[in-house]
Amino acid sequence: MFSSITTTEKCMLEIFDYSFMVRALIAGLIVAVTIPLLGSFLVARRYSLIADSLAHVSLAGVGAGLLLGFAPAIAAIPITVAGALILEWLRQKQKVSGEVSLAILMSSGLALAVVFSNLARGANTDFSSYLFGSITTTSWNDVILLAVAAIITIAIIVINYRTLVHIAFDEDSARIAKHRVTLLSYGLTALTAVIVVLSLRIIGGLLISALLVMPVVTASQFAKSFYQTIILAIMTATIAVTIGLVVAFYAGIAAGGAIVLSALVLLVAAMILKR
Amino acid sequence: MQPKNKAKIIYPSNNKTSLTSGQRLSAVSQLLIDVDDATVKFGSLTIIDRLSLGIHQGEFVGLIGPNGAGKTTFLRAILGLQELTSGSIKLSGATMSYIPQQGAQYNAIVPISVLEVVKLGCNGSSNKALEALQSVDMAETASKRFNELSGGQQQRVTIAKALASNADIIFLDEPTTGIDERSQREFFALLKTLQEKGITIVMVSHEVDTVLTLVTRVICLNRTIVYDGPPEHFEADKYLPKFYKERHVQLHHHHGEMHA
Repeated sequence: MFSSITTTEKCMLEIFDYSFMVRALIAGLIVAVTIPLLGSFLVARRYSLIADSLAHVSLAGVGAGLLLGFAPAIAAIPITVAGALILEWLRQKQKVSGEVSLAILMSSGLALAVVFSNLARGANTDFSSYLFGSITTTSWNDVILLAVAAIITIAIIVINYRTLVHIAFDEDSARIAKHRVTLLSYGLTALTAVIVVLSLRIIGGLLISALLVMPVVTASQFAKSFYQTIILAIMTATIAVTIGLVVAFYAGIAAGGAIVLSALVLLVAAMILKR
Repeated sequence: MQPKNKAKIIYPSNNKTSLTSGQRLSAVSQLLIDVDDATVKFGSLTIIDRLSLGIHQGEFVGLIGPNGAGKTTFLRAILGLQELTSGSIKLSGATMSYIPQQGAQYNAIVPISVLEVVKLGCNGSSNKALEALQSVDMAETASKRFNELSGGQQQRVTIAKALASNADIIFLDEPTTGIDERSQREFFALLKTLQEKGITIVMVSHEVDTVLTLVTRVICLNRTIVYDGPPEHFEADKYLPKFYKERHVQLHHHHGEMHA
């Protein structure tokens, strides 16, 4: 049977000989389902930049973890969730303009991350893997944490799907219909924060928002409905993550860059096809 | 001692129950909304000032007034989207639906289908949504993207969403802005039909002439109520502030030139 396998297929199968690649692929596929699912709601709400800000805050959390000797994710989750809740509060109360608060949070997050990581001597190599993603550093613990968070996220979205669609497209009308707009808005932003933190290892903090936005925009070129957008966005992200990880493996480049460039190629192709 | 400000919207215990069509038609004079001394201030700026009025079942209310008169704020206060600084608004429990300008909220970069928009009004029931689309002659667009429709079609779909929610009162905020004249006429005719079926309609509009031919009651607002009564007694020259009248005349002049 094996005699009929081509050289390319042999190369593909070779990937599975390395346990770090198996972990990276599993984690990547979980990310590919969860991030565009969240992204569809966030982009519809014009929240694309919020993910970017949260990713930068999460890097500050990672830096703090490295400095204080905690597991970076343990430190980053509460800090990023707190950042997410503050952002949502600012938006709901309209205390400051959305753009300004996002810009402040984004730059402060990255500044803190750089300072913390510099202070945590010897941890710089590890920190750069959180910036750009790394397939070799994803542990089974990372995969399990990510899977649990993904299952919780998907379950919450499925259970509250109709209300979340209502909020995403017509928040006023959802409030008039007495839906739990405030609770679900905070919930969705907090879930995004957790998923962002747990995806840092694979995609990297500087690139994560691309995976949140690009597959959704790619899907929007062809989808006729919001539901179709979600399905197509997940399919697009799955293809981008798989190609990106394989390319990262063979080319020895950062996984996040390869994944996002794959997503970009798919987006450009979709736009050309749509013209 | 200063009396303590009271600012509240009072909901009935069972505010999800909408009126049956029989109740709608038989209880023409039932008070649905009771606004008492409502004031909204943004900082030191008073947007609406000690406004009191009642809206009854079956009315078609045209809410007019100059820009910045507080019309949208007033609608949003009734809908519970804007807190009052003082005063109170009592709601009867009728189901309310709000249609802002031209369905802009559904024109996001992420597509949503016509059917999905209407399903938002009826807790996801496809059958009910299709029925509502049929009632506004838009059933054939159900599987299209909402943003592929014309402005007039989009507003018919938002009406279908309101109908799918069994709305007793539909609030519209300048619903025909940017819509061609023919679609406007069709849209206003659709509203009139709904009112004849017993649905209460409250519409903010700058189309003063059209409003006067359509509605059963005119409320002219300029922070407080300037006129509240039947359209036949409304004198635009007397009640509309000068700058608004000038704008109205200019629009008419421009409109006349375009058709000349």
